[in-house]
Amino acid sequence: MASLQILLPAAQLAPLDAAYARAKSAKRLVSFMIAAGLVIAVLSAGHVAEIDLTKLWGRRAELSDYIDRAFTLDSGGRVFADPVEWFWNLKGWLLLLLETIVMSYLGTALGFVLGLPLCFCTSSNLTRNPWIRATAKRCLEFLRTVPDLVFALIFVEAFGLGPLAGVLALALHSTGALGKLFSEFVENVDMKPVEGVLASGGGKLAAIRFGVLPQVLAGFSSYTLLRFEINVREAAVLGYVGAGGIGEKLIEAIRKFYYTDVSAILILLIATVFLIDMGTDRLRASLSRSLSR
Amino acid sequence: MRSSRSTFGDLALIAATHAATIRTAERKARQGLGVALVLLTLLVLGLWWIDFGFLRFFAGTGRLGQILWRMLPPSPGNAEHFLLYWHALVETLCIAFIGTLVAAAIALPLGLLAARNVTGSAALHFTLRRCFDIIRGIDRFVWALIFVRVVGLGPFAGTLAIAISNIGSFGKLFSETFEGADPKPVEGVVSTGAHRLHTLRFAILPEVAPVLLSQILYYFESDTRSATVLGIVGAGGIGLYLYEEIRVLEWTHVAFLILMILVTVAGIDALSGIIRRWFIGKRPQRDPRR
Amino acid sequence: MLEIKALSKKFGDKFAVANVTLSVREGAFVGIIGRSGAGKSTLLRAINRLNDASTGHVFWKGESITSLKGQKLGAWRSRCAMIFQQFNLVGRLDVLTNVLMGRLNHTPSWRALTNLWTSHDRAIALSALAQFDIAALASQRAEELSGGQQQRVAIARALVQEPELVLADEPIASLDPRNTKVVMDALQRINRHFGLTVLSNLHSLDLARSYCDRLVGMAQGRVVFDGAPRELTDAAARELYGIEASEVLAPEPASAPEHNSVPALA
Repeated sequence: MASLQILLPAAQLAPLDAAYARAKSAKRLVSFMIAAGLVIAVLSAGHVAEIDLTKLWGRRAELSDYIDRAFTLDSGGRVFADPVEWFWNLKGWLLLLLETIVMSYLGTALGFVLGLPLCFCTSSNLTRNPWIRATAKRCLEFLRTVPDLVFALIFVEAFGLGPLAGVLALALHSTGALGKLFSEFVENVDMKPVEGVLASGGGKLAAIRFGVLPQVLAGFSSYTLLRFEINVREAAVLGYVGAGGIGEKLIEAIRKFYYTDVSAILILLIATVFLIDMGTDRLRASLSRSLSR
Repeated sequence: MRSSRSTFGDLALIAATHAATIRTAERKARQGLGVALVLLTLLVLGLWWIDFGFLRFFAGTGRLGQILWRMLPPSPGNAEHFLLYWHALVETLCIAFIGTLVAAAIALPLGLLAARNVTGSAALHFTLRRCFDIIRGIDRFVWALIFVRVVGLGPFAGTLAIAISNIGSFGKLFSETFEGADPKPVEGVVSTGAHRLHTLRFAILPEVAPVLLSQILYYFESDTRSATVLGIVGAGGIGLYLYEEIRVLEWTHVAFLILMILVTVAGIDALSGIIRRWFIGKRPQRDPRR
Repeated sequence: MLEIKALSKKFGDKFAVANVTLSVREGAFVGIIGRSGAGKSTLLRAINRLNDASTGHVFWKGESITSLKGQKLGAWRSRCAMIFQQFNLVGRLDVLTNVLMGRLNHTPSWRALTNLWTSHDRAIALSALAQFDIAALASQRAEELSGGQQQRVAIARALVQEPELVLADEPIASLDPRNTKVVMDALQRINRHFGLTVLSNLHSLDLARSYCDRLVGMAQGRVVFDGAPRELTDAAARELYGIEASEVLAPEPASAPEHNSVPALA
């Protein structure tokens, strides 16, 4: 390698080096302080959250014991040897899983139907009135923040046990979640098609239908499918508070120490979520292909 | 009166010459309508399945109205309750904070391993991604239940639950982020003769750092929300009080708790927004002639 | 001495580079010209192995480049610096660190990974930046610089590699006219002042003529012209650029059509 004479004489180099060092040291100090702050925050939060790693290590036998029991039948043999006995309630569980999926579908669909008008109300480029925008935004925030489990708990009190409470809980929460995501899309939409429709004499509704919807449909569908996928997992849990779905059976199994039932139901649940994940991923991919210009 | 015929000529002739285009447009419109119809039918069927009766619905709404009325005014009852709630809220935040951070720290190297452009291994990518899917498939609620069995009641179980389920989500997200990294800086560094590790350290990590931070902040916001309910199964946080107060129908307490949660979440969202703007900021415009 | 022998690169069943044989002596400033898609980029990238050729060989000073692997390949790439059309800098890192990337192969790994460079390396990097009048920007993020400045940073990065060969892939395609001159002057400087061999893809014939001492014209993957700039006739240029040749050589505005078929203008 030939050595090139690039180096400047020291006199010229020194001020450049000093300027660089000065600029960098300020940034380094800030980084250091942030790192220190983070460490302190983690340590204090860890204390409040009662993090005890030695306890976790000490109890690791409990975890392996649990897993062991989850895969051993009452008779003593491994579950894999007798799948019929393992999945003794297959029909009942599958039915409940179907109910869970139906709950998710209904919740997502209703959330879409309610979220759509609300999202248009929050967009500054479609709604002039700032009061409407603010109220709609607060509404969506509220619906998004209150966990659907809390909604479910209250709705069980109001509507009684069963999937109706669960569906309504999912619907409200999804309205908030979808509404917020949709409004981000709508805010970034190209206003020229909308103006075009208005200019040729169309009304507000027509302007949205023909000017906004074609641009956002791909994104909306994608997020709605994602929401459906998430809602299936959420619906599985709502059963815990009696709002329908397989959650109830799962919690019962855990509480009553039916270990093999726990593993059976979890496997069915994971498999279902898996399939739905794959299905919705494919749908989203093909949708984005067919809807994009 | 001027008819459209005079302006555009013979419509029938035009329709005939462009028949193919018109057919495609009509088919697309029919398809769109068909999809909407199918979705609507499924909706109706679903409602029928879950026994959706209008009578039952309206009776329930009436009861709901009563509950909402009884929620006013929201109040904790007394100072002692308020302190308990406050402590539980702080506990909830700590659960979310540690859970998110620990998961991010663990998921970062895992995400790197799962990224095809970092390791060059498709097998690793596939296995790790499936592991992430399995972890994500189990709801954090269920993880909480499992960990309550292992480490006992309290916030530790909740933190572990959030951490584990986040590892699955972060693992998937991070690996996708790494794989989507801008190849140009990578090429630039490779052209100087650098090894893979150097390329990772200088070309990939600095470029994806803002995206990673944004994802972590988003999940922190989301974890704060989900940490509020873990208490229902005894995994720490304010969920326990929420559950109890609903059980005993103390609606003013419930309303107060929900308000506390709303305020806290709003605060966390605002904080997250500030951090985002500070670190990530607005990227300067690149040369328009790309 | 760079020798390219019967180099071909296939993408699917299309030849991006077809049977190119070329020799470049040290210290030359060669301009490779031709339309987009003529194979210029593919040829250049085959030299530093960012793309691997399908068949053929590349030799530098008698040593085979096409068979290098692993560490030796890294060492070759270090001696053969490349400048890209879109600069390929790491936007979020500061300018000095970007230039220090060129020292990666001259520094122990631990120093590089911890970002603790020796003062010698920093001095070299700063000096390289000073060559192109941008040392004052050393602590700024690369993405905050203008196109011309970024390309000069890229050239500084190439310089600190202490290379024997510099490949420039459309270095001025993303720049405005003023910065074009600045960057081409920078390339000329490293060729004349430091004696480095420069191979540059250029789509502008005028620039190629004024800066390069040898022109290689490519069309559809083949070399169709090889000689001094003054030897490039109109006919040869037409073969390179097809019907756009007249636009490339004599920038006169096209005249309006004879007929006016638009009624309103009648």
